[in-house]
Amino acid sequence: MVAGVAGGFADTLGVSDTFVRAAFVTLTMVWGLGVLVYLGMWLMQLDRVEDTEPDRVSAHQALGLGLAFAGLMLLLGVVGWWPSNALVITVGALAFGTAALTDRNMPGPLGALIDPTVERPGRLRIVVGVGLLIGGLTVFSANVGPIYEIGAVLLAVSLTGIGILVAFGPWVTRLARDLGTERRERIRQEERAEMAAHLHDSVLQTLALIQRSDDPARMSILARHQESELRDWLYGNAPLDGSDLLSTALRDSARRIEADHQVPIDVVVVGDHPMNETTRPLLGAASEAMVNAAKHSGADRVSLYFEADDDELVVYVTDQGKGFEIGEVADDRRGIAQSITGRVERAGGEAAIESEPGEGTEVVLRMRVSTG
Amino acid sequence: MSVKVYLVDDHRLFLAGVKAELSEEFTIVGSANDVDTAIEEIRGLDPDVVLIDVHMPDGGGVAVVEGVADTNPDVKFLALSVSDQAEDVIAMIRGGARGYVTKTIEPSDLSDAVRRINAGDAVFSPRLAGFVLDAFAGAMPSDDDPELDQLTSREKDVLRLIARGFAYKQVARKLNISIKTVETHVSSVLRKLQLSNRHELARWASKRRIV
Repeated sequence: MVAGVAGGFADTLGVSDTFVRAAFVTLTMVWGLGVLVYLGMWLMQLDRVEDTEPDRVSAHQALGLGLAFAGLMLLLGVVGWWPSNALVITVGALAFGTAALTDRNMPGPLGALIDPTVERPGRLRIVVGVGLLIGGLTVFSANVGPIYEIGAVLLAVSLTGIGILVAFGPWVTRLARDLGTERRERIRQEERAEMAAHLHDSVLQTLALIQRSDDPARMSILARHQESELRDWLYGNAPLDGSDLLSTALRDSARRIEADHQVPIDVVVVGDHPMNETTRPLLGAASEAMVNAAKHSGADRVSLYFEADDDELVVYVTDQGKGFEIGEVADDRRGIAQSITGRVERAGGEAAIESEPGEGTEVVLRMRVSTG
Repeated sequence: MSVKVYLVDDHRLFLAGVKAELSEEFTIVGSANDVDTAIEEIRGLDPDVVLIDVHMPDGGGVAVVEGVADTNPDVKFLALSVSDQAEDVIAMIRGGARGYVTKTIEPSDLSDAVRRINAGDAVFSPRLAGFVLDAFAGAMPSDDDPELDQLTSREKDVLRLIARGFAYKQVARKLNISIKTVETHVSSVLRKLQLSNRHELARWASKRRIV
């Protein structure tokens, strides 16, 4: 049970390890001899070969081993290493009785009752085991009283308890180990299932869409979208730690506009600032500028640059598209421009739009923020 | 004479695409899918420019850059990556790469970057410019070499314009300086990035996992 010595010894001898444990327990009654032998064998045990099926002993050999053990006990008694008949017989009978009823490979009558697939121990074994238990208890109770002091009784009881622990221990620990393994396996499978589900909903769907699409621009947008989504998922960026940051909000907005208008938007961020009522108009204006650039500039990509330092936030939305003459803007576009600048100015910021025909357009949004 | 280019990427499909895009203008002298082959062949072929993937098994692009630093000091590296993890990109640049671009770069821009790298300039993508500005931002602690640990305001202007998506030529015009001056500023930033022992750089990069 402790170091597998009993099990190893049992394999070598070819008998059930519970019997070997019972023998150790009984020997322990003789001035702790069993513990010493156990430790000695543990120290000597070198490399035990695992997974070899031990040869089962025949009835004759089992009888021989039993007699040899009895002889050893007798010899100890003659030499004088003998505490008392009652103590040794009590513990020995209880230990061997328990051993007969339990087995690592056969969980015993109790196990057989619960699990019908378990092979029942032989009837003879049950009879002998129960007999030994009753005998042991009888000897024990017959000797409680004037002959023995309470200390010896307590010793016998506790040692019997240890014997039962030794007999049942392997079975209990194996059960616990099996449960642990099973749980780990289940968690692993759940993680796999979760990952498979996620990849199915995202990457596989996108790949299917790309295969069905014959427009390179659309394919590229799908791929970009999927790329950033997968990256967020892999590195756990967006949903948890960044949801209330302006940088995250700007990225999300850029991603949506990119998908809606089929124009890639490169986002570069330096520093960051929390998302709040002051910064919301900045996000709104930046988003509008991005939509504007994606829809009207004709550029094949749009850049968004956001920089935050201690007292100012600046957003640049830049395209290399066709641009326009500021003074000659059609009414509807002037409206858009005013709505971009108006939003930021109402919130106390500054907005500027620079453009020239053929030179692209840049929208600059600034907002002062208080530190701390 | 045509520029000799060597490609290192463990993603074969991407390798084939880049090869096709660059072979018109440059001589592709070879390619490798793994770190060991790359180091061995670069030593033998001594190319002018190596396009190198940041993420590969067995140490990644940094292992290759460091592996040939002693034998072929004149080989120039341009890092390519899909990841944009600041930690990896900064490690690559500090390892000796002279530029960093994302794999989504337009083919014409990639050719341009190779030419620039070959000429000894640095190539900063908007994202790398953003990384650098972020890494060098904030108050400066006192240090041995304050000049290496801080960007000049002109360098910051240049980086901001690059981050906003402008090409070097446009940056030059916006700042009323020559393209050569823009290149000088960018090379100076690269040098600071490689040599500065500003402690925040590493801390910043590991904290900043992804952009």
